[in-house]
Amino acid sequence: MCGPIDVTALDGIQATATVLLGLLVVGLLKSHAEILRQLHELGAGRTEEAPQPVPVDLAVGGSTGAKAHDISGFTPDGESAAIAVLGAPHETLLAFLSSGCLTCNGFWEALGDGGDLGLPAGMRVVAVTKGPGDESESAVRVLATGGQTVLMSTEAWSDYQVPGSPYFVHVDGTTGRVAGEGTAAAWDQVVGLVARAAGDRRRLRNGAGRPRDGGRGDHIDQELTAAGILPGDPSLYPTTPPLTGDNA
Amino acid sequence: MRISAHGLAVDLPTGWEGRIRRQPLPVEAGCADTPKFRSHAMLHAADFPLPDERGDFGSGAVETMRSHHAFIALVEYGSGSAGTALFASGGMPRELRTDEFSGRQLQRTLRGQGGVQRFFVEEGRAFCLYVVLGSMADRGRVVPRVNAVLSAISISAALPPEWLEAM
Repeated sequence: MCGPIDVTALDGIQATATVLLGLLVVGLLKSHAEILRQLHELGAGRTEEAPQPVPVDLAVGGSTGAKAHDISGFTPDGESAAIAVLGAPHETLLAFLSSGCLTCNGFWEALGDGGDLGLPAGMRVVAVTKGPGDESESAVRVLATGGQTVLMSTEAWSDYQVPGSPYFVHVDGTTGRVAGEGTAAAWDQVVGLVARAAGDRRRLRNGAGRPRDGGRGDHIDQELTAAGILPGDPSLYPTTPPLTGDNA
Repeated sequence: MRISAHGLAVDLPTGWEGRIRRQPLPVEAGCADTPKFRSHAMLHAADFPLPDERGDFGSGAVETMRSHHAFIALVEYGSGSAGTALFASGGMPRELRTDEFSGRQLQRTLRGQGGVQRFFVEEGRAFCLYVVLGSMADRGRVVPRVNAVLSAISISAALPPEWLEAM
């Protein structure tokens, strides 16, 4: 009844099974990639849920930073509002906050206590939440009590590509560029970063080329060059140990 | 940058900012008995940061102006005002002359500042246009920038009273 097993047929079955298994694996990988992509779009892993935001140096951007945008939306009281950022003779710090993020509470309190925020003179602070369709107006009204300008604008979040809250964007109105951006865990960090960014820009305007304290020894090169000691100068490569107080 | 609300809209040039709101009158003003005065729209525009706390005619804002700044208020009055002598002019002035400004037209006199007030009806709605200059000395430079904003303001026909009640 049973004839000899046809080896060729077995090979065919094996090959077919291998191809089918391969297709199954490829399908699973594609499905997995699609799930990851959709999770990413939904915001999984973004800073809003992070309990400890990692401070990012605001001292980036400068005259080559991203183009800034004017912002428009609504105030928590329902005013239709447009706020000038471009062309303004002052710097603007946009504080992208939300009513639901725990880390934002400290920033709402800092903005709301009405005291000196410790920022450079003339710098304007605008708190920006998402628009009324994406944020609770009543919650923002409760938080926005300190006389600081608060704007509700999802468009502004999109224009500045804000990844989550809290997030800060420092705009130089005269250049129309983003002078720096990033997140922070506390207000004093923001103050320090803004001050450093301002100092860096001052030095760049003065022709230093790079921040002097960038850790690269650029200022040493500049001072040596100014003294006439150029790269390769023999005095940079002493053959005998320098004299010290003990052996002088 | 364009904002619009309550039948008012403005395309703001770079460096200008604006607000539009509907200002409810206080209860003691007799709103319930005089529906025509129930509320009015208000537009503010300025080339300096507008504080959140501002009066209809810019109190709270004009005190912060510098000499090269300008403030514009467009304040709506009740529809019943449209037929009165004060609002006899038709259409919003969109080209002001420098000699129309003076210190005597200010709602609140501040040293060096100048202003102008114009009352008019457009699209059946009664308005007061109030413009303040940070300094009369700079009016030749500032008034053309004011006119650029005025020409970018548009006014739509009034909403029916029942719509306003529902808002």
